[in-house]
Amino acid sequence: MRLPLINGIAAPADAPRAPFLRLSALWIQITGTWCNLECVHCINASGPADPWLKPVRPEVVRRAIREAEDLGVKEIYFTGGEPFLHAEMLALLGDALEVAPTTVLTNGTLIDEAMADALAALARRASYSLEIRVSLDDTSPETNDRVRGAGSFSKAVAALVRLNERGLLPIVTATEIASAAHAGEGMYERFRRFLIAQGIEKPRVKIMPVFALGRLGREGDPRLTEADLAGFDRGLLQCSESRVVGDGGVYACPILAGLPGARLTEGTLKESFADAPLYHPACVTCVQTGMTCKNG
Amino acid sequence: MTEFRRIAVFGGVYNNAPALEAMLADARGRGVEAVFCLGDMGGFGPHPDRVFPLLREAGVLAIQGNYDQSLALGKTDCGCGYTDPRDNHFARISYEYTFAKTSMENKRWLGGLPAHRRLRLGTHRVLMSHGSPRVINEFLWESATPTGLLKRFLREGEADVLLCTHTGIKWHRALPDGTHAVNVGVIGRPENDGSTNVWYTVLTAGPDLSVEFIPVHYDYETLAHQMEREGLPPEFAETVRTGWWTTCLENLPAKERSRAKF
Repeated sequence: MRLPLINGIAAPADAPRAPFLRLSALWIQITGTWCNLECVHCINASGPADPWLKPVRPEVVRRAIREAEDLGVKEIYFTGGEPFLHAEMLALLGDALEVAPTTVLTNGTLIDEAMADALAALARRASYSLEIRVSLDDTSPETNDRVRGAGSFSKAVAALVRLNERGLLPIVTATEIASAAHAGEGMYERFRRFLIAQGIEKPRVKIMPVFALGRLGREGDPRLTEADLAGFDRGLLQCSESRVVGDGGVYACPILAGLPGARLTEGTLKESFADAPLYHPACVTCVQTGMTCKNG
Repeated sequence: MTEFRRIAVFGGVYNNAPALEAMLADARGRGVEAVFCLGDMGGFGPHPDRVFPLLREAGVLAIQGNYDQSLALGKTDCGCGYTDPRDNHFARISYEYTFAKTSMENKRWLGGLPAHRRLRLGTHRVLMSHGSPRVINEFLWESATPTGLLKRFLREGEADVLLCTHTGIKWHRALPDGTHAVNVGVIGRPENDGSTNVWYTVLTAGPDLSVEFIPVHYDYETLAHQMEREGLPPEFAETVRTGWWTTCLENLPAKERSRAKF
């Protein structure tokens, strides 16, 4: 397996640890790092060529969903890579929606009219909410495409409009990479106004910080120590209530899925219910920003 | 454990004394043996201290919501669990107003409320929580609460009926094994369906549990005027007059949001 820079490290034995409290969110790293885009800030260095993390086999996904239901999971997320590259994505999404509200994190570029129709049909049939989160990094096509690749803006916006027309109310996920000058509330309002101008009357926006990992990771990035965490409630970290099923096992964190240091077991979800090492530079960002990859 | 046959349960007063008064009068006319409140007395509306005498005079048995906990502990925010900047902006205004206008005596009373209550409704073992049994500010929306999770709450809580509030929109799910989960709704704010009334719940014991959601009509125009006179955001008064939420929308799951106006 070829890992991106810095990510091959194992968790040191003296790394601080986060307690496991409960399984609230099951994440499925459905396509590994296989993506049709190659964004400069991608947290797991996904791309079209030679993905370092393989997709998850459908039977593994189905087993995880069944186990998560028995364990009282609250919500399910599909991520990658680009989930809609997976041949069985729609069928697996249907399985997940029978168990819990489910979210797909997508770049939107593969949501054509037929896919939007299929998603709307799934959402109508389900008792639980289907959330589609579309990534977009700026409201200007030029700035966005410098980060996410040529043509990605127009395809993502077209997907947002298609989903909205079918009543699916997509959530736009934006990182602060292209909008540092407008970060915080200014950035949020700018995205809201942009979406309203596209005819999306109920704009939903989630802002994410940029992480020092994937293509942005560097040797020597700082790590957490016990002293850094004095007085901090580690139960607030998402690794205390999330688990990620990816190729090779169950991991503590959606953005560290696939990394040997974040793997808790090669077995079942239940076997992953143990303290997670806060060993990676990304853990610094979570502690400092209080961020969660979840919808809210 | 105290046993009842018929009880009224409500949540989320949000400083709405006129709605509380109307709800208590309605419940008296329905022959309930006791009235329970699942917490969050403050926030959103005007004149927080007007709520407490009504609760005490009626002998309402309350539990603590996240708002009550924050006020009692002197925290700097309501702990509603919002993650969105616009929601947090309005939540801050609402909390600072309520914090400043709630007496120390009432804050102490809120601090003494229990986190949960248990009782028997006929043969049904009832567990009352504000958000969820495990987290005081956990949102249990109808379209975002798996049946598997409810079964777990009921199993771990050794209960047949789970009652909660916190989200502001009521629902009832009868599980296949004869157990029940009910979000009893709130009486402080209409439930985002374009109607100005608010809702509470009457539960009656029987071979199976009877769950009735009761609409409460109250003088919302007076409340809206009071909100304006107190300088609360016009968005809050608009919600009271129209029945549509104008703030705190971002936590709504897709299904609940798709039924909303904003």
